[in-house]
This record gives sequence, structure tokens and C-alpha cells, in this order.
Amino acid sequence: MSDSVVPSFLGRTLRRRSFLRVAGATAASSALVLAGCGKDDNPNPTPGPNAVATLTLTGDDNGLLNFAYLLEQIEAAFYQKVVTAFPADFTAADKAAFIDLRDHEVIHREFFKSVLAANAYDAALPVPFEFNFTAYTLTTRAGVYAAARTLEDLGVAAYNGLLRRFSNLTYLRLLAKIGSVEARHAAFVRDQAEPNSFAGPEVIVASGSLAGLSVLKTPTEVAALIAPLLPVVLVADNLMLL
Amino acid sequence: MDFLNLLARLADLDTTALPAAAPRRAALGRLGQAGTALLPALLFAGALPQPAAAAPQDTRTRLDVLLLARQISVFENEFYSQALGLVAGVAAVPLSATEKTAVQTLQQQEALRVALFSKLITDGGATLPTAPRYDFTGSKNGTKAALYPDLQTSPDTFLRVAQLLEDAGGRALLGQAEYVRNDGYLFEAVVRAQSVEARHASHIRTMRRQRGATVKSWVSPADAAITTAGTVAAKVYEGESNTVQVYTTTATATVAAATVSVPFSSTLPINVGTPPLTPAGILEKVAEAFDEPFDAIVYTNLADLFTY
Repeated sequence: MSDSVVPSFLGRTLRRRSFLRVAGATAASSALVLAGCGKDDNPNPTPGPNAVATLTLTGDDNGLLNFAYLLEQIEAAFYQKVVTAFPADFTAADKAAFIDLRDHEVIHREFFKSVLAANAYDAALPVPFEFNFTAYTLTTRAGVYAAARTLEDLGVAAYNGLLRRFSNLTYLRLLAKIGSVEARHAAFVRDQAEPNSFAGPEVIVASGSLAGLSVLKTPTEVAALIAPLLPVVLVADNLMLL
Repeated sequence: MDFLNLLARLADLDTTALPAAAPRRAALGRLGQAGTALLPALLFAGALPQPAAAAPQDTRTRLDVLLLARQISVFENEFYSQALGLVAGVAAVPLSATEKTAVQTLQQQEALRVALFSKLITDGGATLPTAPRYDFTGSKNGTKAALYPDLQTSPDTFLRVAQLLEDAGGRALLGQAEYVRNDGYLFEAVVRAQSVEARHASHIRTMRRQRGATVKSWVSPADAAITTAGTVAAKVYEGESNTVQVYTTTATATVAAATVSVPFSSTLPINVGTPPLTPAGILEKVAEAFDEPFDAIVYTNLADLFTY
């Protein structure tokens, strides 16, 4: 069928998607894989806490939910760390805002954990992941807001890239509600880091055919960006097939 | 099937020539009048082809979604343009230099999205609606008492209306995305526009807070109300304090499935503060942590306040 009105963007997408759905059907049926620590010389490794080398997300709604769960765990851990030891130059308003942010992200994290239940990637882990925030300066107001800006902007772009991949409409609706609040967070922390930067060109496309829309990142782009924070290698390739 | 081709075909159709949807829609309308008690019996009797839960997807077309997404940006673009003194005959709102810079950013980004959604509509062969006449004081060009008489002279009033429009735009788009989820391109355009509205709304709220208003950058039950209960504008915040989030574990809405309610008020370990919040206090945070969609009609009713 010829597309006389526009280049066949959608036609291509659909054909590719239906192909990949077939191609991915067998892979997606397996459960979330937590690979062992890969010590070949030990045939019977005893995994210690978090002795996990690779976290491969499955190409289905559970994989998508686990991805969002991981993002919310990171955000919640970050804000908790700040709230536990506020920078000396934090104002009362900063503290109140960060307690709100911490509470929101804990609510999001526990929401995903509740929805995933036994399907949560860490359901069988003795202790949850610890995330590595050493790249951020958490002892100054400026450092904390810069870090929050990075994480919140990433969250917004990630949700934008996750939503259309869901099969279950009720999951999609809930993630959209959360994504909207993440965008509010992002604008707030951006404004605190730099006045009037709430919608700068790094987060709103400034030119071209998508000008005026929020930046979107695909699951693999997000996985690469959060890699330094994680104690494992995150493989989100299967989400790209959705 | 290319939705733009579909749009082109739809645009050629007379609206009376859509026989499939109309009787069902009319039936739903009648059911609404007869009262909900009648509904289950009729459903079991097979009077309707699908459960009522699936109805929203049948009653809004892609064109409807595009037109609403465009309207939201057209509206805000005009609102901010007037505030900046870019519209003949309307004085600029006396904003500070920093505030003016922000409003310029807001206006420019709305203008970009007007262009984007207009192009999607016209590329599909549909025509753009004619521009309405605006009166953001709400006086309908002096024919009734103004809702916001000092809009053009008071930055506080201007920002209050701006917050109303941005929060409303965000909620409306949140409600629209699911109607176009079979079209990845359009779906993402709507979702990405929604993120922008949420960022804009957050910034307007921050601006108001800096001017002394009791308002968070996220919608909170703790915000001082900016609307009067029972008015059209108050609908913009109706349901935002919701603390109940539900989902089903099956993929499609056409399959009857048990609805699960997330146990925020009982078992979830979300009250982690020191000291912990009261039960009401933590539920306030739950309400803040989820933005709520609303139906297109709430937005169009709001827009109607400011056009004549």
C-alpha cells in the first residue's frame, strides 16, 4: 500500500512491530533472569547478597514495570540519602521540598513493588540493591540540585519512552500519572539549580519536526545512563522489541 | 493503516454517515438518562456489543485527540501572548524581568506545539477550526461580570489563571493519550506534550510560591484553593486529591478481570519519615504522587469561559 500523504513512518513501525512480536514471543515467556556471578571455576557458587552480574529485563509488561521500579528505587534512595544528611546550606524550603520528593518516590517505589509482587526482579534477593551516588556532590545545595536534575530529567524521558510499550492499559494509565508528577519534580529541581531553566533545550526539543515536545529516551538509552549507579549490568534490550 | 490517510478519509465523510458508532452512542446516552440501575441487566441481555468499560475508546477519534491537543496550546499561546503585550489592544501584564523571561519561554513552546499539532491535522487532510475570540478576564467581551477583572494589571491574578490553564492542559492530555495508543507516533506526541504541560504547570506554581502563595510545584491537597467550589473552573481540580489507584492484571480491558486496589492506606511501607506522618498526612503525599486525568469536556468547558 502506498502512503501518499506522509512517508510511511507508521506502516514501517507496524510491520516491524508485528515481526518483532513474533520473533520475541519465545524469549519473552521466560521469567526475569538474574544471572549468576559468572565464576566459571566454581561449579556451585554461593551467591552472597547482590552477587549478581547481569539483570536482564524481559520483553513484556513485567520487564517494563521492573524497569520503572528500578528507576524509582534509585530516586527514592537518592532523596533518602539527602534527607538523612541535608547539605549545610539547605534552606527550610529546600528541606520541606526534599521530604516531599522522598515521600513521592518511596510511594512510587512501593507502588511498583506491590504491583510486581513475586515478579519484582529483587523479590528473591536477601537485601535490596545499593546504588552508587559517588559521582554526585551531596554535601552542597548546588551539588544536590544538580544531581536531582539529572535523575528527574532522566525519569521523565524514560517514562515517555516506556508508556507506549505496555500491553496492559491500566498499567499505562498509572505510569502516565506518575510520569506527569516526575515532570513537575524535574521542573522544580531545574528551577532551583538554575532559575527559569524549567523547560530548557536539554529537556524540550527546540527545533525540527518534534519541536515543542519533551525529550524521550528509549529503555536502552536510559539503561546506559543509569549504568554507573547500578551494582549490576542492566540489559534492557528486550524492552526495545515492544 | 496510516492514521493520516484515515483522517483524510474521515474528513471527506459527512458526519451523519457514520452509522456504526451512532446507534451505540445513542444507546449509551439513553442508558445514562435511564439511570445506572438498568445498565447491568441490559448488558447481560446482550443489548450492547461490548462492556461499558470499553466505551471511551469508541467515542473519541484520533482527530478529536489532535484537535484537543492543538486547542490546549492555541489557548495558552494566546493567553501568554496577551500577557506579553504581543496582541494589539491588550496591555502587557506588569511582570518582573525574570517572570517575563519565563512567560516568553512558555509562550514560545506553546507556539511550537500549535505548529506541530496543526501540521498533523492538516497533513491528514482535515481542516483547522477557526480561531475563537478571547477574553481571558471571563467577561465575554463585557457582556457579563468578569471572573478575573484585574487579569491584565495584577501578576498574581495572571499567574493564578496561568496555573489553572496549565494544570488543566496537563490533566486533559493525560486523559487523551489512551485513545490513540494504537498509533505509536501520535501516542508519543501526546505523552510528550503532556510532560511539557506538567513542567510548565510546575514552574507557574513555583512562580506563585515565590510571590507568597501557598502552593506546591505539584498538585497538593495542601494548596490554597484558586477556584470557587461549584464553578466550572473548580472542575479543574476535582478528583486530584484521589488516593485510590487501581489496576487489573490482564492485558485488555475487554476481558473482565478483578480490579486490584493498591494498598496505600493499609500495608504499603510508605510512611518512612521521622517522625512518621499521620494516616491523613501520608495519604496527602499519595495524592501528590499521582496526577489525575480528566475528560476532554472539562477542558472545553474551561476554555468556553474565556472565549466568546
